[in-house]
Order: sequence, then C-alpha cells, then structure tokens
Amino acid sequence: MEDSYETPQPMQNSNGNGTMIVNDDEPVTCLHDVSFPPGYVPSSSSTGAAAAEADAKPAKEFPFTLDPFQSEAIKCLDNGESVMVSAHTSAGKTVVALYAIAMSLRNKQRVIYTSPIKALSNQKYREFKEEFSDVGLMTGDVTIDPNASCLVMTTEIWRSMQYKGSEITREVAWVIFDEVHYMRDRERGVVWEESIVMAPKNSRFVFLSATVPNAKEFADWVAKVHQQPCHIVYTDYRPTPLQHYIFPAGGSGLYLVVDEKGKFREDSFHKALNALVPAGEGEKKRENGKRHKGLVAGKLGEESDIFKMVKMIIQRQYDPVIIFSFSKRECEFLAMQMAKLDLTEDDEKVNIETIFWSAMDMLSDDDKKLPQASFWLLRWFGLLSFVILLFLSSVTCFTLVLHSLSLSVSLSVCVCESPAAETFSIGLNMPAKTVVFTNVRKFDGDKFRWISSGEYIQMSGRAGRRGIDERGICILMVDDKMEPSTAKMMLKGSADSLNSAFHLSYNMLLNQIRCEEGSPENLLRNSFYQFQADHAIPDLEKQAKVLEEERDSMVIEEEDSLKNYYNLLQQYKSLKKDVRDIVFSPKYCLPFLQPGRFVCIECTRGDDNSPSFSTEDHQVTWGVVIEFEKVKGVYEDDANKKPEDSNYTVNILTRCVVSKGGAGKKTLKIVPLKESGEPLVIIKLSSARLPMPKDLLPLQTRENMLKSTSEFLARNASGLPLDPEANMGIRSSSYQKLVRRIEALESLFDKHEISKSPLIEQKLKVLHMKQELTAKIKSIKRQMRSSTELAFKDELKARKRVLRRLGYATSDDVVELKGKVACEISSAEELTLTELIFNGVLKDVKVEEMVSLLSCFVWQEKLQDASKPREELELLFTQLQDTARRVAKVQLECKVQIDVEGFVNSFRPDIMEAVYAWAKGSKFYEIMEITPVFEGSLIRAIRRLEEVLQQLILAAKSIGETELEAKFEEAVSKIKRDIVFAASLYL
Amino acid sequence: MRNLQLSFNQTQKVRLEKALERLESLSSKSNPNSCVTVGDTIPVYEDGILKGHGTSDQKGELAATVCGVVERINKLIYVRALRARYKPETGDIVIGRVIEVVPKRWKLEINFTQDAILMLSSMNLPDGIQRRRTAVDELNMRSIFTENDLVCAEVRSSQGDGSLQLQARNQKYGKLERGQLLTVDPYLVKRRKQHFHHLEEYGIDLIIGCNGYIWIGDHAEARDKMVVDQGSNSEQPIAKCDKNSMDLDEQDGTYTPQEARENICRIANAIRVLSRLGFNITVEVILETVNLSNSLNLDIHDMLGSEFYVLVAESEAERRSLSKRKR
Repeated sequence: MEDSYETPQPMQNSNGNGTMIVNDDEPVTCLHDVSFPPGYVPSSSSTGAAAAEADAKPAKEFPFTLDPFQSEAIKCLDNGESVMVSAHTSAGKTVVALYAIAMSLRNKQRVIYTSPIKALSNQKYREFKEEFSDVGLMTGDVTIDPNASCLVMTTEIWRSMQYKGSEITREVAWVIFDEVHYMRDRERGVVWEESIVMAPKNSRFVFLSATVPNAKEFADWVAKVHQQPCHIVYTDYRPTPLQHYIFPAGGSGLYLVVDEKGKFREDSFHKALNALVPAGEGEKKRENGKRHKGLVAGKLGEESDIFKMVKMIIQRQYDPVIIFSFSKRECEFLAMQMAKLDLTEDDEKVNIETIFWSAMDMLSDDDKKLPQASFWLLRWFGLLSFVILLFLSSVTCFTLVLHSLSLSVSLSVCVCESPAAETFSIGLNMPAKTVVFTNVRKFDGDKFRWISSGEYIQMSGRAGRRGIDERGICILMVDDKMEPSTAKMMLKGSADSLNSAFHLSYNMLLNQIRCEEGSPENLLRNSFYQFQADHAIPDLEKQAKVLEEERDSMVIEEEDSLKNYYNLLQQYKSLKKDVRDIVFSPKYCLPFLQPGRFVCIECTRGDDNSPSFSTEDHQVTWGVVIEFEKVKGVYEDDANKKPEDSNYTVNILTRCVVSKGGAGKKTLKIVPLKESGEPLVIIKLSSARLPMPKDLLPLQTRENMLKSTSEFLARNASGLPLDPEANMGIRSSSYQKLVRRIEALESLFDKHEISKSPLIEQKLKVLHMKQELTAKIKSIKRQMRSSTELAFKDELKARKRVLRRLGYATSDDVVELKGKVACEISSAEELTLTELIFNGVLKDVKVEEMVSLLSCFVWQEKLQDASKPREELELLFTQLQDTARRVAKVQLECKVQIDVEGFVNSFRPDIMEAVYAWAKGSKFYEIMEITPVFEGSLIRAIRRLEEVLQQLILAAKSIGETELEAKFEEAVSKIKRDIVFAASLYL
Repeated sequence: MRNLQLSFNQTQKVRLEKALERLESLSSKSNPNSCVTVGDTIPVYEDGILKGHGTSDQKGELAATVCGVVERINKLIYVRALRARYKPETGDIVIGRVIEVVPKRWKLEINFTQDAILMLSSMNLPDGIQRRRTAVDELNMRSIFTENDLVCAEVRSSQGDGSLQLQARNQKYGKLERGQLLTVDPYLVKRRKQHFHHLEEYGIDLIIGCNGYIWIGDHAEARDKMVVDQGSNSEQPIAKCDKNSMDLDEQDGTYTPQEARENICRIANAIRVLSRLGFNITVEVILETVNLSNSLNLDIHDMLGSEFYVLVAESEAERRSLSKRKR
C-alpha cells in the first residue's frame, strides 16, 4: 500500500478537486478522494509541520495489521486533515476513531465523540474508558467527568453546547461524528447539520458512516462550509462476506440468492419463489383484517415457520442469530414461540442463572413482580432456554442482561423489535453469525412500507463475526405479499444516499437569533440541504434543455385546432369523472351494492400508460358484486366519521387474466370506490342482480357464477344500467348541471371538423405527449427557480412572523422573555409548552397533575382503547388542547404550513393516568396495569419527561419564577426512581 | 429636568423645556397604573398569575419591590425597573476592565454588583489553535490581558449565586485598544441584535456594551495584527504633520492618526450629550447627532456647549414626532 499512495495534489481545474484512487491487487480495496474548498491552496508549511510531528511515532499502534482503508484514513489524520470514512458496519471504522482520540490525547487536545443513540454512547464510553481512561460521558441522563479530554456524548448535547458557547468548543481539536448517515433521519437529522455547520472553525472532523454512494458530495459540503480539505475513504469491503438466503413462507428450505461474492443467483431466486406456498385458501378470510400476521401466525398445533427455521439454524450451527421483526406485537409473539427451544449446555445454564439473579438483584422487590422482568426472564432463564426479549434498548434491565450475556456466554437467539433493531443495526456491539428478517415491512409514522435496500444493508451487516465466522448468513423470510421485484430490489439494491432532512424549528430559530453573530439565514445558506439544491441546478438545466429539444422536434399538422379538440376532450373527461364522483359517492351507491349486482368495470391496460382519446367508453368488462367493506385507515379514527365519508372497497367477481399463468383464471379483485387512481374503477351499476351462492371459495361455484354472468350479458347487451336520476334518486343540482354540460360538449365534438380526420387517434397521442413534456419542463424550471433562492426562505419568514406575533422576538430580532424560555425547551413542542407556562396553567395544579399533563408532550403513540383520564386530568388536557389550537392557528395565520387539528391531536392523553400514578409513587407493575402500553415505550416516555423537566427548570430560572422552578424540581424527584431510572450496566 | 449642570441663557432654557415637553407628550401614553414604586400594590385582573422579577406576595396582594413599569406577558407579571443597575442576561455584550488576574481566569469589573469571570478556556488562544489550556498558557495569561486592560466579551451564564461567566466567542471579542471608553447609565442602552458597529465613513469601531460601557476606537480589522499594521502604515504620510505626540505609539506600531482621534472624540461627545439628556443610545441616534454637529461646523469641544444640547433635544423631538406620524 505504501507505494501506491501519494499525497494528493489539487488538480488545476477550477473547482479544485483532487482525485486519487488507491487500488491494489489485494482483494481488499478502498477508494480515496479529497475535497478541497473552492480557492483553497494547500499551504505546505502547516501540513509539513504536522507531518514532521507525526513522523515521529504513530499516536497509537494496533496489534493487528490495518486494512487499507483504515491506514488511508489514519494517514489523513496524521496530516491533520478531516476525513470521512464510509464503510460497512463491521468493517472496523472504530479503529479510525480510536486513532483520532489517541492522537488528540497525545497533542493535549480535546476530542469529542458523538453518536446518535444513548445506548451507543454508553457502550463507546465504556470501550474508550478502558482504552484511554481520560474519558467523560455526557448524555441527557448522565454526566460523568465532563472535564475529561475525550468526551462521549449524543449529538443533541453537542449541538446545545455549541449554542451555549461552552468552553469545550474552544478546546476541541477533533470532532468524531459516528453514524453520520443518521443525518437523513426525518426528525433528528437536522441536528447533525446544525452541529456540523456551527462547529468551531479550526477543528477537524472524523465522520464515520455506513456506505453511502454520495460520500463525495458530503465531503464537498464539509470542505466548503469549513474551508478545509476533507478526505473521503470509501470501501465496500466486508471482513466476513455475506450470503443471502430466502426462506419462502410455508416452505421448508433455504435458497441461496446472493452468494458471498455478491452475485445474484437468478435461478435459485425463482426456485424460491416457486416454492412459496400461497397463503392457503383457508386463510383468505384472515387476510383482510390482519395485515402482517400471516407469515408467523401459522396454524395451531403445527410448528410455525419461524420455529422451524430457528431449529434448522441451530442444527446447521448457524447460531448465534439475531431475528429482526418490526412490530412489538409480533416480536412478543415470536419470543413466545422461541420459549419452547432449549439451546443451552448445562454449564451455560449455570452461567445464565448467575447473571439473571445478579441482574434481578439490582431491581427493587416490587419491580421484580413486573411481567417483563420476572415473568419473561424467569420463564426463559428459569426454564433455561435461551431467548431474550429485547423490547427497547432503553429498558435498562434488559440491556443489562443482554450485555452481560454477550460478554460471558455466546448469545444464541435474540429477537428484537424495530427501534431496538435500529439500535442494533447502528453499531451496538452484538455480533451474530446469522441475521433473520421475519417480515420486512415497517411502519414509518403513517403507513407500512418495505424497508429500503439501504436499511437492509445496514441490518444485514450485523451478520458474521469478524475473525470467528467465515461468512455471515442473512435470511429473508418472504411471503406471497412480497413482490419478487421488491425482494430483488432489497437484496440487490445499493445503499441509500445521504440526503439532507433539514427542517426548521422554533427552538433552532430562537437559538440562532439569540447569538450575536448567529443568524438563521446563515445556517440555511450553509446547510447540506442548500448545498445539495445548488448542486442539482446544472443537472436540472441539462434536463430541461433535453426535454425542450425533444418537444420542439415534435411537429404536428393543424396543431391549433387539434389543441382545441384536445382541450375539449380533457374537459369532457373531467366532467365525466365529476359525474361519477357524485353517483358513486357512498351516500348514493351504497344501497345498491348488494351481493349479486352486476357492475361494469374499467379495465387496466397493463403497461400502456397513454390514455385513450375517444369519447366512447374504454374497454370494459362486467362483474358481480360480492361484498363491500369499509377501508380502515391506519389511524382508526373512523368512528367519528359519518358512514358517507369513509372509503369502501368492493369485492367483485370477474374474469381476470393473470399474466403468469396465461390461462383464464378467476380471482377476487378489490375495487376501490373512491380513488380513481387505482387500477379498477366502477363505471356503471346495473339494475339487475344475480342470486349469490353462499360460499365463493370453491373454484366450481365461481365457474358457475361466471357462466351465469356471461349468459345474462348475452341476453342484455347493454347491461341494463341503473339510471342515476330515476333509479338511484340523485337529485342534486350540481349533478344536473354536469349532465347538461356533458351534452353540450358532446354536440361540440360532432361539429368539430378535425374529429373526422382519419389519423385523429395518433395525432392526439402525439399532442398528449407534447403537452406532458411541456408540463415536465415547467416543473423542472420551477424547481430550478426555487433552488437558486435560499431554501426555506418563505418558511423562515413565516416562522419569524409567528415568533413576533406570539411575542417571542421583536421585529429587529431581539429575543424576548418568552423566547428565552422557548430556547431552553428542545425535547418537547416549545411554543405550546411556553404558552402553557405563561398562561399559568402549570402554576395552580399539583405536582403530580403537572407531570401528568407534561406527559402529553412526550407521548406520541396512539392507543386504540385507552381509557379517558379522570376529570381533573381531562380538564388540564382540554386546556392544553386549547393552547395548542391557539398556537396552531397563529401559525396558520402567519402562513406556516400546518394542519391545525393534526397538531392539536399530536398531544396524546393516553398515558396521563399512568404517569399520574407513577408520580404519586405507585409501583411500576401497578401502572402497567393502568395502561395497555409496552413497558419499554412507557419507560422511554418517562425518561424523556425527566429531560423536559430539566429543561423547564432552567427556563423557570430565566424568568425568575422560583416557585415554578421548585415545583419542577420536585417533579423530577418524584418521577426519577426505581426501574425507570435504574442504572445500566453500561455505566 | 435632569439637573444638567450647564448654564443656559433664558431662550435656551425655554427652548429646551419646550423640546422636552414635546418629547414627553410623544412618549407612549401608558396606563398610569403601570408605573409603580416600591411597596405599591399591583392590580391583578385574573387568577393564576405568575409572579416575575420585582414582585412579591404581601398578604395576598401583589406588591412591587422596585420602582418601575409593570409588564404583563400572558399571565406573567413582572416589574421592569426604570433606572436600575445593570443586570446581566445570557448573550449580552459587555465591556469590562480587568481588575485581577487569578489562576485560569480574569476578573472583570462590568458595572454589576459582582465582578465577572472570564475563564482562560472561554477565550480563543491568540494563534487560534484548538487545544486544552496548559500550565504554560496559565503563566502567560498576562500576555493576553493584564490588569486595567479593557475587554469586550459576551455573558455566557450566570450561576445561582449571581456570579457571572463571560466568554469571547471569536476574534471579534477581546482586548480593546486605541480608543475611548465612555460610561453611561446602563438603562439607556437597549438590547439589540447588533452591538458591534463599524462606522465606515469615520473608520471607527463602536461597541455599545449592555452594561453601559461604550467603546469608541480606531477600526481594527478582526483584531488581526497584520492587517492593522498595513492599514496604519498607508495612512501615516497624511498624519505625519504632528510628530511630537506620536513617537511613542509609532514605535509600538499602534499609531492612531489625528483624523481618527478627532472622529473618536466627536462621537464620544455626541454620546455624552445624549446620555446627559437621557436619550436612549443607539447607533442611529449617535450618527444623527454627529451629523448634526458636522453640519453646524461645530468644533468638537463646542459640542458640549449648552446650545448644542438644546439643538439635539429639539432634533430628537422632531425625529420622534416624525417616526410617530409615519406609524
């Protein structure tokens, strides 16, 4: 490696980017690249001095030979320049961090290590402490030795330190951002951007990231913002190669789809898919209601897929294994299944028992009564089967047990649920040989989606222990709900690129305004978001040019009159659609959707997207209604909706051609009624009905049904349509108006001369394409305009307006008293909470009630069957809602995009009772009986509540409200006890 | 009115009184109840109020503990003292004088009840290197600031016991040289977004400290020694005429040309006039006063004459009535 590396020189081109690729004959290669800030001239003197110093002796020597990417990165560090390391989870990025720390300690400089997750910070703190001893820790929960030279903290803490101008910012030479790809996180990603932009000018950075394709772009940004060169070291290398298998649902074997060389095996992939046992006919009824159970539910008495698989894994000695699943319920279910297994040797059993009891000893007697702490653990450890139910990483006792296990005995099976899964994937040290994904659908706030290929890469990276396993094994359980293409995308896809998730918050604005030299505009200008937008401009320009050329090359005869005709057509279509919307609003058509009614359905035209241009109806087919049902929203608040407003799906029996089979095959199709964007749309209802057989599942009945349908159609070719006005009783004036306009249009069509042209169809198609191109060009141009401007400019203005209206800041950007309070609150909705304080709501209530009210700020989950809180609490909650509504309305008036009711409803009263009881001194197992939530979620909420209270103490101090301050302090002392704040072994 | 120690003739007295009366009539017609003296009961119109600074609960009634104006924000009631001592808030820009160099910190007098503390670690090292402070740094503290140096800094935080931590965020803060310090009543300085001003037409830096200390000094480019040197060198030929006073400074390379000195004095006198008249001190008003003196071709020392006081009062009254009408 030594000889292939040269000090990168800036190229003489204008943007000054030097490129250097290190590529050796060795299989383990890495890419090395440097970003220089525009107009940067590397001063030989400074690097020379640093190099001379470094020549003496490396700051740290490792007992093993470094991988090329590690030594590349370390060379950059020795030169005193920032570096971004992008590699897989297990590749050994920590080595770079360790070296940076060792180097800073040698030079008597401070070094800060930030990570996205507290648990990870804790773990790293322990690691570094063993290695260097001069190490401190700062998270929201604990502060240990804040004067140490190496400080481990969460990124949020680092951000607020910079706002407050802590003296650490003046001493830190190196800042290590671990897992920097977290920057694309929707909610928290912006914290990384803020911290990087505001970081001290003369400090250097180490970014450790998962593999991201646009690492170069990120480095360019850092180079620009901080006016210093930034190196990129990128490697795809995995110390233990991965094999990806597919386990088809209901099947019995594994199919290797991606081998350790990363080659995708098409043939066995198809074999796997063919082995899929379709979710049995009998299970069909269940399919609609329970979306993601199918795979693991299995039949009673029979062994479930997961159980079969774990057994197989153990047999083949693929253990230890981590099983990822993405819902808490499923996770619990899986763990129950696992409990039957006994995987441990006798000596291990003794080991586990000791660990278990020592873990239990740390809890109070009452907490041992917890179902989670005692029942689960006792059960599994008592029976000495080896399963751990990891609900959340923040549930200390579990983390603790888990950790001690990984230290002493090898962990065999571990089932974990999504937030924990993310923690895992992000680098908690929990090596396993095998990783299993039970279901790869994930709930991300508003809907279920497939996990992206990037997430898959992250999580599958847990498989394979360096130096122990020859290869890691990754098993994907696939059911028939998963499209083969989706699976393929996930397995073969590339890592997600690092995109900015920048957004504004009031807390950020106030903090920026409060600083003498800070300005929100400046932050925006330097944000990664802006950088990416700027970068996109030349690309967009090119696109627009190409499209324009394409458009101009299309020449159509008689374009004007054709256009006229085209516009008429569009109008006609939209009118038709309006009519349909009225006729098929559930209000009118529900009474007519009895089983057995004939309906006319518009057919989908597969891949052909171009719309047809005749006034005639499109290709249609007839079917028979089977049943209809309400579509359940993800948030089940349909109860307060009128039946007319909800969405319905109608099941229709019809002849369908399944392209795979080739032969005519009859299936059930789901027809959405309201959304015309869906594949099938009902066009007409017939007045005729057929008698319906009870059970439609046997093929025979369906055949018969179909036969009678076609017979009926043969007799009545028109299908006997229902007349909307006469039969369905639609008497709205808008309907009549629409009908009249359609008639007028139809007469216009006949008169139009061009409609007689023989080539009208083709011509219209060309015109349509041209129109679409024009629209596309327009949208690209709009995008270009918006990116030349400062991103978020309008939103910034609007938000500043809100701050002025509510009296948080004056028109010449001076932060007022209220603003100073809001500045302190970063873990809850700052405006609403500040308003509550200034309205004196928190003043009169008892401490327990106040804590209970504040719980609404930290609880986001929605509970189905949560009981209403008692009256006093309910009253408080109404006050909160009123305040929130007022805040939201002011925002709306100031043109901030906000959904008022959605904002008000984001405050959830569900755990008010539980928190009230907790503050009253109840035991944890008692409050668990009050609310049907997961222990982990509740513990996390209470911990976050404590964080908010700490911020409120500071806020109260700043407005001179000593009573309130004392009250908050009392609140903290009331909730900070027992299992919720039990010390973790990590510390 | 504000017992100005000046000799006015009769007409001047009348004019001044008139101008001041006019100003008074222009001031916001605030609720007379909103002005309180110590011990006054503050009327409370609603329940569940929050007691802020300057208030106290006296047998169920809310009483003021300072003289001032009652301010209400939602349900928070506090009294803003009118002519109070300076009370630091986080983020304030202040100017202080070093009174003591103690281990790892400087003690600064900042016109507050207590001395403020500027930690060695809260201060950028002269060479801009990011590192931990060593014992050597501590020994060399006097090379950065020594006793009686003027320092500009930002209030970082105030501890529970009232002690004050300062910080110097960047190169803009630090030692102030070649200029004048003025002391005005701190309540005349209102918190603004900007407290650092570079008056380009005069080549002067103006720092209006929230603690009532105002610095007027020769412009220094971001306190970078190199740039300052070049700047003063180029101006030297012009100012060579009076050598007798400059010799010492010239050797130091911290030479201030005559013109800059005059500008400093003119601005300083403008501020003196304003503060004596009890007007709020902002950069706009200062510049206006300076322009007024320039347009009248007044000598610097004449600015402190009684005629100019009257003129400033009159123009201020004019300005405020104009801006009022605009609204």
